Amino acid sequence: MTGMGTTGVLEVTNLSTQIRLSRSVVEAVGNVDFAIGAGETLGLVGESGCGKSMTGLSLIRLLPNGGHIVGGSIKLRGLELVDLAEDDLRAVRGNEIAIIFQDSQSSLNPTMPIGRQVAEPVRLHRGVSKSEARERALEVLELVGLPHPRERLDDFPHQLSGGLRQRVMIAIALACEPKVLVADEPTTALDVTIQAQILALLDDLEERLGMATLLITHDMGVVAGRTDRINVMYAGRIVETAKTERIFAGMRHPYTQALLGSIPSLDQDRSKALYTIPGLPPDLAPPPPGCRFAARCPRATEQCQVEEPPLTGEDADHLFACWHPVDGPVERSVTIPHATATNGRAEGDRLLQVNGAVREFPVTAGVILRRQVDSVKAVSGISVEVGSGETLGLVGESGCGKTTLGKLVVGAEKPDAGTVELAGKRVFDLRRGALRRARRDLQMMFQDPYSSLDPRMRVHAILREPLQIQRVGTRREQDEKITNVMREVGLPLTALERYPHEFSGGQRQRIGLARALMLDPQVIVADEPVSALDVSIRSQILNLMRRLQVERGTASIVISHDLAVVRYLSDRIGVMYLGKLVELGSSDDVYHHPAHPYTEALIAAIPVPDPTVEKHKGAVAIRGDLPSPRNPPSGCRFRTRCPRAQELCAQVEPLLRPFGPGHVAACHFPLQEPVGTAEPEAAHGSAG
Amino acid sequence: MTELGAEDLVGGVPSLGSPNVPTLAPEGGEVQVLASGWRLATREFLSNRLAVVGLGILVFFVLACFLGPLFYHTNQTISNPLVTDGAPGATHLLGTDDNGFDELGRIMAGGQTALEIGFFAALMATVIGTLYGALAGLVGGIVDGVLMRLVDILLSIPLLFIVLVLATRYSATVLSQSLIIGLFSWLVPSRLVRGEVLTLRVRDFVVAARIMGSSQRRLIVRHLIPNALSVVIVNITFLIADSILLIAYLGFLGFGLTFPTASWGDMLGNAQQAVESGYWWLVYPVGICLVLVVMACNLVGDALRDAFDVRLRRR
Amino acid sequence: MTGYIVRRCIAAVIIALGVAAVVYLLLNFTGGSPAAAALGNHYNKITAALWNKQHGYDKPLVVQIVDYVWNAIHLNFGYSYKQGQSVAALLNEDAGRTAYLSGAALVLALLIAMPLGIAQAVKRNSIGDYVATGVAFTLYSMPAFFLGLILIQFLALDLHVFPAFVGDNVTTTWQAVTHPLEMALPIVTLAALTVASFSRYMRSSALDALAQDYIRLARAKGLRERAVLTRHLLRNASLPMITLVGLSIPGLLAGNIITESLFNYPGLGLLFYDALQNLDYPILLAYTLIGGILTVTGNLIADIAVAVADPRIRLD
Repeated sequence: MTGMGTTGVLEVTNLSTQIRLSRSVVEAVGNVDFAIGAGETLGLVGESGCGKSMTGLSLIRLLPNGGHIVGGSIKLRGLELVDLAEDDLRAVRGNEIAIIFQDSQSSLNPTMPIGRQVAEPVRLHRGVSKSEARERALEVLELVGLPHPRERLDDFPHQLSGGLRQRVMIAIALACEPKVLVADEPTTALDVTIQAQILALLDDLEERLGMATLLITHDMGVVAGRTDRINVMYAGRIVETAKTERIFAGMRHPYTQALLGSIPSLDQDRSKALYTIPGLPPDLAPPPPGCRFAARCPRATEQCQVEEPPLTGEDADHLFACWHPVDGPVERSVTIPHATATNGRAEGDRLLQVNGAVREFPVTAGVILRRQVDSVKAVSGISVEVGSGETLGLVGESGCGKTTLGKLVVGAEKPDAGTVELAGKRVFDLRRGALRRARRDLQMMFQDPYSSLDPRMRVHAILREPLQIQRVGTRREQDEKITNVMREVGLPLTALERYPHEFSGGQRQRIGLARALMLDPQVIVADEPVSALDVSIRSQILNLMRRLQVERGTASIVISHDLAVVRYLSDRIGVMYLGKLVELGSSDDVYHHPAHPYTEALIAAIPVPDPTVEKHKGAVAIRGDLPSPRNPPSGCRFRTRCPRAQELCAQVEPLLRPFGPGHVAACHFPLQEPVGTAEPEAAHGSAG
Repeated sequence: MTELGAEDLVGGVPSLGSPNVPTLAPEGGEVQVLASGWRLATREFLSNRLAVVGLGILVFFVLACFLGPLFYHTNQTISNPLVTDGAPGATHLLGTDDNGFDELGRIMAGGQTALEIGFFAALMATVIGTLYGALAGLVGGIVDGVLMRLVDILLSIPLLFIVLVLATRYSATVLSQSLIIGLFSWLVPSRLVRGEVLTLRVRDFVVAARIMGSSQRRLIVRHLIPNALSVVIVNITFLIADSILLIAYLGFLGFGLTFPTASWGDMLGNAQQAVESGYWWLVYPVGICLVLVVMACNLVGDALRDAFDVRLRRR
Repeated sequence: MTGYIVRRCIAAVIIALGVAAVVYLLLNFTGGSPAAAALGNHYNKITAALWNKQHGYDKPLVVQIVDYVWNAIHLNFGYSYKQGQSVAALLNEDAGRTAYLSGAALVLALLIAMPLGIAQAVKRNSIGDYVATGVAFTLYSMPAFFLGLILIQFLALDLHVFPAFVGDNVTTTWQAVTHPLEMALPIVTLAALTVASFSRYMRSSALDALAQDYIRLARAKGLRERAVLTRHLLRNASLPMITLVGLSIPGLLAGNIITESLFNYPGLGLLFYDALQNLDYPILLAYTLIGGILTVTGNLIADIAVAVADPRIRLD
């Protein structure tokens, strides 16, 4: 049941894989069918634990301990792999089917030079001499765009950046010109600008080498522009399969619909709630009877609970497994009460003010008395304001200093220079009792839902703690408050007696948010509040945060690498690069009319879950890697990666200039003319 | 797993998140009801068969050594030259030693002292090590540097050497041997606790408490101590095992407790001659008891470590 | 890396000096005076004061320590009053034999433990793994002399394969090397305990490495399992072992005391044992100090070896 029209290089039918654990058997992959033709890319999309990686590993029978294929067939150009002898299968691995893993840090042998790691499969499968293999390694490393490959052959993995390491891993995979490439979350660990580079590279190589590619990812944006066909996986089953354009425009399975509907898009209407999928994916040991999505499906009927729907469709090109299919994308119709698209900030309303904040982390060396040898410039002179009830978003790639800035605001870090003022008061200059009282107004929500809650305290104690510390209310009043906040964040009261390990990631984030709300702070800093969560859970938390913003009117700072998340939650957005604020303005200004080349490139690099947009994107805007924050470039810190950089950029640091009301950017050669102030001579060279 | 009743669920809050789902379930989803942390660790521990065996061995030896003499009366104070080195028989189940003491009774008495010394030494080492390590980890900076270099120095001197030399100077009682061993085995626990404090200090939940305005004292009492406790508890079992081994060495080299008190170590002091003379009952029963107890401690420690780890690593 | 090595060396020197100070303080002033020990029956106030003046024990503590360290650096560890010989000469005489015994035991332990640990990790939870873990666990929980006694009982007294103790025909290091039969039991006893901890550690280190993605990638390249292990696993899993070997020195030294006194093998351990019985403090002091210095040196060498073997440290 392939129905692809083309004959597949790789044909998988009815593949089932199980993992035996000590006390149970997990049906990780169940009855999966697909085929990939030469030069074709098939996307395998799903949330964590849906079996997509297990499917990829099944292809070359490299399952983790206890895992084994229990049925079905995998045919590589007619050759059956499922019962192939181990010796013959080894001739296939790395030679005809190659794989790329997510984490290049742990996927490369730390004690072996990269040249040898790339040459290894060549020596093995082609039986060539050492020097010939080395030449081939050089060739492939050049192909994947490793700069100066000859000098780098003897480098070790830790000497390369994440993006370059990922290129080396791709080189290893391509060294023997495989017929099939399995890319398992190849860009998930990378920053968006690097992700865009790697995806473009993969795309280009697939075309030039005519490989059949299986692209495994959780990111609908990544598959939108890079695949011919998409398989959506849920709880070990393929629930829908169709051509990429067709699945995005006219999906039939409610899960596909929900998955796409729950992603905040960059031009999301902020007054509308995101679509969400309630609950959690089912436990697959053993899987539930009937449709596996039934428990979370709004359209589920009795039939769905007992009878599993087959993968069928009106035509062979679009198949789905659902008794009550939907028709096309979801209408986002639920409006958040009282929410306007943007909350305007009254002029002069400065609830929170950060003035020229600087934070540098010392790098030390020494035997007993550590002396400072260098410093990481995390935040280098940043000034921002937040008005009451307003949400400021901070975006930037990892290492840009956004988290440090957030910690400075709540006093988890002390600035080396500059001040933080709340309602005109320098809170962290206060002492003891006064400082403690002032801390009530500045609270934080953390990224990692596993480390932000004390594993040895019950939820009740976790939520009571802020009140106890601040000596607020009697025990009765405290209990009442806890009950109210639990309601607000949508958790059952039974949860109060439980320990953090008993909750899912999304529920833990709710507890973290509840703890931040206990003191009714004036400002909440949310550091990557959803980046550790799966897509379907992510939208639940985003909706909750958005609703609380509107209901409570609390000012907040939302920090994320994901511009779409920041845009959905924020009234204004600040873009950071290497410890500097490079652009600041209303969400619309920053997104629709960016003035800084970095902002523009950042937006362009974000994969959009829409094939029509994504497939017509131009070339990658930013090349190269982020420079070291220990030794940032002179002048404009972005100049080393900027397409518009000129001599001036290296000599003079650009200051923030206005580009409209409340819209500033720091660039000598901005994308549009600055307004108001006298034109510096730099503007002359601008193309804007 | 129990199902949550509808009355437990939050009603009345418009469930924005799921527009086309009737709002029956709380928005955040239900909570899987599991056991508490300690109970989960206990369950994990008990599911480890070896650990249960280890625990059983320990309980058996504690009962046998401390309660056994109540039922099996023997003379362990005045030597009896008439029955020296007697083979096992009806009157003396495990024979008699070179002083004419009943060997089985002596194993019980020697087990008492061995267990006491092991326990006291481990306890003392744990208390000192925990305080020292916590101080270094919490104060940090130069204090930490100096304190930990001192640990490095002391750790470089082989423990057995120090203990032996000190044993030549002090009369050997249960108390003095416990003190000597305890005073020099706190180094490893101090390093462990310091490491734990350092990692805990930067954990998000501790940062969160600081942001709430928590005092240093509260941080230590409410967050650091409870979370560092598992490391300390696990280490106690290993310390007991090591201390019992150490007194065995002391006894073998002739620095046992003052006559007529004895520990298992002292009873093996003449083991070499006993083996050569074929008095196997003076060597193997006590030796096997010692190995069993040490092994049981190690098993329990390993299992405890796994049990605590599992709890924190869940999901 | 040079910077790293220099820093480690400085740290080692500081720790070594600290060791010297602590050992001196500990052994001379934790009760009883050295004069009492040295003079024995002739001890009284006058002779003690004279003895103290003669041997520099009347000087301030700091000066005494500095003097002692200064002399120790020049390999002058004082005089054994009981044996009527300089301590350095006594130590020098036995050092070779102890080095041979420890070295042979260490090499034997590594040769057994490393392949065993890797094999156990690869075949984890198999019967063989359980048996090996069980044996290692038992040995780990066993006092060295008890193992030695069992070996003597079965292999020497019952089966007469090896002699029960090292005889008078082994008095020089060369004789020790040329009498493998006599040395078999001491070496095996000393090695067995080290094997126990080494193999447990090697197993867990190999398990950690096996869980890494680079092993998965090596298999995905189509390498044979054997090549995956030798080319990718062995080196990475062995790196932590280098540190462990450095850390095992105090245990080896302690094991020497037990093994040598059990088998009556004339090495430093036996010298120390005799000194304990005779309260010969200059020897106790000297050997404890040497033990400390050896430990510090062992750790330093291990640190440097790790830095050389691990490119992540070497190239930093």
